[in-house]
Amino acid sequence: MSETEVVFSYSSADAGTFKLLELPPDLLKLVEAAMEGSHSLSLSVKGGPEEDAVLCTDDKTYTMRSVVLSNSVLVVTPPKPEQEQTDGIVIRDQLHDVIELVPSLPKLHKLKGVLRGTEYDETHEDEEMMDADEQTENSSLPRKFTYTDAMQLQASEGELRRGLRDMRILDIGGRLRPISPSYLNMILELILNYLVSESLPHDAVPVDQLVSALEDDHEIRRQVTLQVLTWFGVIDGSIWEINVEEVLKQVALGILRHYKDEAIAEDEFIARWKRAVGDAFEAKVSLKLLEGNYLSTTLPNRFPAVLALLYFPSSSLPIDPAARFTDLFLTRLKWKAQDIAPYLADIAVDAKERDKLLLKYARATTDAEGVWYTSRNKI
Amino acid sequence: MIIPINLPSPSSTTATQLPLNLAKLCNSEVVLIELQGTLVVEGDSFGQHVGKLKLEGDNAKPTLLIGHHLLEGKIVTLQKPLAVLHRAGSRSRQDDAEEMDVEESKQTSYEMIGLVRRKIVFATRPMPVVSPAAVKQAIEKDDTEGKRKKLKVG
Repeated sequence: MSETEVVFSYSSADAGTFKLLELPPDLLKLVEAAMEGSHSLSLSVKGGPEEDAVLCTDDKTYTMRSVVLSNSVLVVTPPKPEQEQTDGIVIRDQLHDVIELVPSLPKLHKLKGVLRGTEYDETHEDEEMMDADEQTENSSLPRKFTYTDAMQLQASEGELRRGLRDMRILDIGGRLRPISPSYLNMILELILNYLVSESLPHDAVPVDQLVSALEDDHEIRRQVTLQVLTWFGVIDGSIWEINVEEVLKQVALGILRHYKDEAIAEDEFIARWKRAVGDAFEAKVSLKLLEGNYLSTTLPNRFPAVLALLYFPSSSLPIDPAARFTDLFLTRLKWKAQDIAPYLADIAVDAKERDKLLLKYARATTDAEGVWYTSRNKI
Repeated sequence: MIIPINLPSPSSTTATQLPLNLAKLCNSEVVLIELQGTLVVEGDSFGQHVGKLKLEGDNAKPTLLIGHHLLEGKIVTLQKPLAVLHRAGSRSRQDDAEEMDVEESKQTSYEMIGLVRRKIVFATRPMPVVSPAAVKQAIEKDDTEGKRKKLKVG
């Protein structure tokens, strides 16, 4: 039997400085590993005054929710040796809530708005040079948005890097600028042509040779090409291994981009796509690569019906679930389960979360063709 | 705004440790005690004695004696372990209000001072006791009175 004296803290500085954070299993493992020293982990809380705070690990984001307890929790520690003379233990703080962590998606959609009008293409080269000059003169440009600024966004660093890649945003001398789609496609086509003309293997392309060729023949800056190469493959030392699917997808989007209001016949589209990517990759062309970017439809006033495609990228839809569903059901009154799924991938953490959204915003009906979703609200 | 949370370094050995019986409860330097209701103090609470925490045996039944009230508790394993965070370089609230300029608040950071897997919960109603010594006496007195009664009956 042992007895321990419990005393209140000796200073007022402690009250309100403690928080309890409930750790989900995956995060617990990381924290344990970090405490043993076998793994490093950076944790930070991110958010502006009007945002809900999120907790970011190296590659994940969690929404923080305060859960109020009816009981009170005392945080008790041993006394500080220099200040407190007691053999007992000290109550540092009295808490009435714990913070719960819920996995969530990184909030990177702000980037699009912030970076609007800063698109990078060949015509911007001169202006860019001026920017660089001004920068050295220490004048702050109003629209300059840097990687450090982007770190303030509610996303982990891993997710931010992935997001910049997926949104095709270049880092030009520290400044973030989305590449213009037509410029990107031009670069890709140049790369593909170069591979063919030099008959280079697509899994081992000498980086330096390729970059120099684009720079010398087409005045595409080194840092631009290098970043484009990492978006569409892996650079390992001096060798670039191309990610064929990613390239095919981007090339296809370049063609499809112009058919937002008027559909393009499926056969014609596939033919153009194959022509653009050349013989080497022709066989890998598949509409599956474009999921979440097109609607299949038929050409108007044609009989028999001709299958056609309409450009409809999920990245152009609102991020708020309710608004997203409204948009989707305005576009189509009913959706097949497998057709709507790609349009929800970027607003739901996982399949479970996605089904929850469908349950909340859509009505499911089943017929011979499978599950259909219609709107829950009248539009 | 980014507030970093610093994890404890693996090699850190602190000078202060919890008393042995509590150290068994958790491997960190923090213990969580859950109470139904709150501790209310009239006047200044700093350095005030709250009560005595008793742990009996290894997987003990904890009791907490506050004044004339005895609380019986139990040790509960948390379903999701809690990380205890402490604001680093914290000042008193008054100072905070005075120095609330942007630069100051930017430097806020939290230290994770421990990972807690079990807590001590006191969820029962407090039992009034006069004082431990008085209780002992009362029990002994009871005993003798009982004997006396028995004698009478006999």
